[in-house]
Amino acid sequence: MVRLAAVIMAVVAVGAIWSLTFRADAPTEGVNGSIFASGSSTVEPVTLIVSEQFHEQDPSFGYQVEGPGTGDGFALFCNGETDLNNASRPIQPSEVETCAANGVAFVELLVAYDGLTVITAAANDAIDCLSFLDLYALLGPESQGVRTWTDADALAGELASDLGEAFGASGVPYPAGDLVITAPGEESGTFDTFVEIVIAPIADERGTDHTTRPDYVASPNDNVILEGIAGTTTSLGWVGMAFAEESSGFVRQLEIDGGSGCVAPSDEAVADGSYPISRPLFVYVNLGRAAGSEALRAFIDFYVSDAGLGSAPEVGYVELTAEQAAETRAAWDGALAEMGP
Amino acid sequence: MSALRGLEGSAARRRRETMIRGGFLFAAGVSVIISAAIILSLAGEAFNFARQVDVSQLFTDGWFPRRDQFDIGTIVTGTLIVAGIGMVVAAPLGIGAAIYLAEYASPRTRRTLKPVLEVLAGIPSVVLGFFALTVISPTLIDPVCPGSTPLFNLAAAGIGVGILVTPLIASIAEDAMHAVPNSLREASYGLGARKRATSIFVVVPAAVSGIVASLIIGLSRGIGETMVVAIAAGAVGGSLFSLNPCQPGQTMTAAMTALATGSDQVRGASLAFPSLFFVGLLLFGMTLVLNVVSERFVRRVRKRY
Amino acid sequence: MAVTTRDVVSQALSGRRFDIRGYLFEGMLLLALLVALGILVTLLTDVLIRAMPVLTERGGDFLTSNMSARAERAGVLQGIVGSISLMIFVVVLAFPTGVAAAVYLEEYARDTPLTRFLNTVIRNLAGVPSIVYGLLGLAVFAVLLGNVTGPERAGRSLMTGGLTLAILVLPIVIITAAEALRAVPNTIREAAFGVGATRWEVIRSHVLPYAAPGILTGTILSLARAFGETAPLIMVGAVTGGFAFTASGPVEALQGPYTALPTMIFSWARQPGADFRANTAAAIVVLLAVLLIVNATAIILRNRYDRRW
Repeated sequence: MVRLAAVIMAVVAVGAIWSLTFRADAPTEGVNGSIFASGSSTVEPVTLIVSEQFHEQDPSFGYQVEGPGTGDGFALFCNGETDLNNASRPIQPSEVETCAANGVAFVELLVAYDGLTVITAAANDAIDCLSFLDLYALLGPESQGVRTWTDADALAGELASDLGEAFGASGVPYPAGDLVITAPGEESGTFDTFVEIVIAPIADERGTDHTTRPDYVASPNDNVILEGIAGTTTSLGWVGMAFAEESSGFVRQLEIDGGSGCVAPSDEAVADGSYPISRPLFVYVNLGRAAGSEALRAFIDFYVSDAGLGSAPEVGYVELTAEQAAETRAAWDGALAEMGP
Repeated sequence: MSALRGLEGSAARRRRETMIRGGFLFAAGVSVIISAAIILSLAGEAFNFARQVDVSQLFTDGWFPRRDQFDIGTIVTGTLIVAGIGMVVAAPLGIGAAIYLAEYASPRTRRTLKPVLEVLAGIPSVVLGFFALTVISPTLIDPVCPGSTPLFNLAAAGIGVGILVTPLIASIAEDAMHAVPNSLREASYGLGARKRATSIFVVVPAAVSGIVASLIIGLSRGIGETMVVAIAAGAVGGSLFSLNPCQPGQTMTAAMTALATGSDQVRGASLAFPSLFFVGLLLFGMTLVLNVVSERFVRRVRKRY
Repeated sequence: MAVTTRDVVSQALSGRRFDIRGYLFEGMLLLALLVALGILVTLLTDVLIRAMPVLTERGGDFLTSNMSARAERAGVLQGIVGSISLMIFVVVLAFPTGVAAAVYLEEYARDTPLTRFLNTVIRNLAGVPSIVYGLLGLAVFAVLLGNVTGPERAGRSLMTGGLTLAILVLPIVIITAAEALRAVPNTIREAAFGVGATRWEVIRSHVLPYAAPGILTGTILSLARAFGETAPLIMVGAVTGGFAFTASGPVEALQGPYTALPTMIFSWARQPGADFRANTAAAIVVLLAVLLIVNATAIILRNRYDRRW
């Protein structure tokens, strides 16, 4: 008898908690809808913060944000499965084609800037500055199988004599040590940006593919990369600047020479354009779904407002300037106008 | 004859009995349905993968599903390394603990120490993965492995798996030793042997089938373990073939997790999603074989006593 | 080495009183247990120390907040709610089916090839790695039945997660229930048959009541196991980023997004930054606390109703 009572009580308690998951008397004011965002794990925190803030303003707004990677996100987006795609690189022509083929119209909205920083372990004081040329010699497609830093000396020397200082001064001879690389993989926009800015120009000169060497520990997860870098003294890799700053005790950010001398990574250097590896962060919105969803429209309205765009620094990114913000708003307003009433 | 008829009961009652029995049989049959579903769903997509993949893609430098490189050797070796290290840890700990609890411990000691194993058994694998990453790797692996060791490595995952599997081995081995009849022990004492001799030369050989079964089940569990490797070895998107446990690597289960935390259709390599099921089928096959073999050993124990 | 009577006697005669090797051996075995104890203590202490800052500073707030991009505001509420919802699924689906299957195998089935086959299948299912169940859930519940389980989100819903976990737990429930039924002595059954009961009546009135505590304990322990499962949920789409969702009814809630405490731990363990580390440890403390309560309940029940035949 006692056991029966205990069981009933447990069921009631559980049922009470269960009812927390839904409210039958949902508030009737507010947008009463939800959005589903996927894509870049870099931009994910921004969209999440903006979503949280909007949800605080309007509790009837629901959201779900994931971060499998820019490329994977676009696959879902161009299949019409998500409302918006977070992207740490612009959409690629092949993806534009897929979207068009599936009838997904979209608008591209610039929401913040971020730097890509090349990192090594905090204990590694043998290197201070690497040029694009060095990075190609260590990480590019011709370096598969290069296990130590000094093994890359030959290629770097060759590049220096071919290309001169166009892509920065060469750092040879490299310090001794195992070259242990932990870096983003192809599903990540961070990978694409690095390839596009650092590898591709030299690859064009050399006639090689726009890609990196395949033989490294690849992960879309920044924590894995940072831990991997921190754990080995002579490591090398790259992540978004915001993430590296959070782990400043364990990793060292290197200065980068893109052809105009070594520049240290910092928010200011990214904002004024002097730091060579910086990238824009985008949000792509599915216009078809926006037309049918008041929640999505209201959310984007909030995102491109000062309050929304101003959240970027909270997660470590560089906020847009006033003109850039105005351009983004104009793009959204234009897209809205095209949608019609 | 009529007396028997009278004892049979009403037809309605018998019909109800048959229906109830049928209901229970159906419930048991659900398990068969589930097994069939597992095999079918895995085989379908795995076959899809096998049909489209080029054999050369299965033997490349490493497991990079997004670059169309599906080297099976990488992930299978990774799994075996982790499971192997796990067994090196778990077998002595588990069997040692089992022998102590079965042969040496007084009822009071047993009551206090056995719960230790039960609590260890109840710790979820995520927690052990976090522990492997934050404690085992820096304190145990880094000093032992030569050179500077990355935080993510197979050895830390292996030890984590070993801790996970120890209570399993201990409990099955202890049950096996408990099942050995006391008459055997008494015979041994009667000949003048002491406890150590009795344990090593009488009890353990009598229970050897059960002990071997415990090891095989432990190995099977270690092979199928996911979260410890996903956290402590990084669940990375791809990795080179490597035999070095002091480096990060890829197991079958971690490869599956990495593929699933991406999206369904991966840009470029359209084989990545079916490869998930191919690896799953491989894993299912391996653990099935191990489980069947261990059952043979358990049945031998049952037959004897 | 002293094994047989002759050696023992000769050893006693030669004056050696202590069996050094014997004690050493016993010591080594005890060491194995103590190492296990040591690992357990280290793990718990380490987790508690890491979790201290979060638990002391935020306390109850940690338990009632949603997932957030900002570590200092993130909390485990959605994980707790999600995990409990999943457990309800498991209890409702797996418990009756599992006990019924066990009843069939122990009470009704004769030793035919079919019965042996069923037993083999169930034992093999219990040994299948949990990630394979995740694949099954993905293929069947998410992809195949996506329109039913979660039309808005390609089948990655609470319902899918619950069904997957229920299937995972089913073989374990069957095995533990079967063991509990086997422990009921035949005399009980024979007494009931003797007064003319049918098989079902025997089971209902005699066997089940006696086996109930054992079945209950086993079920609670399987629930504890399911509570800590992570891999299958990740496979079938538990949310790892962040979400807020207000369903307007139970069906929508079932088809909606969800997360669970272990998956939150998994995704937080992968976030960069020291603050999320502390959050991960705090979430682990919550998880272990819940498991402790559940396991303690099972043990108390077992001790209270443990009968000696």
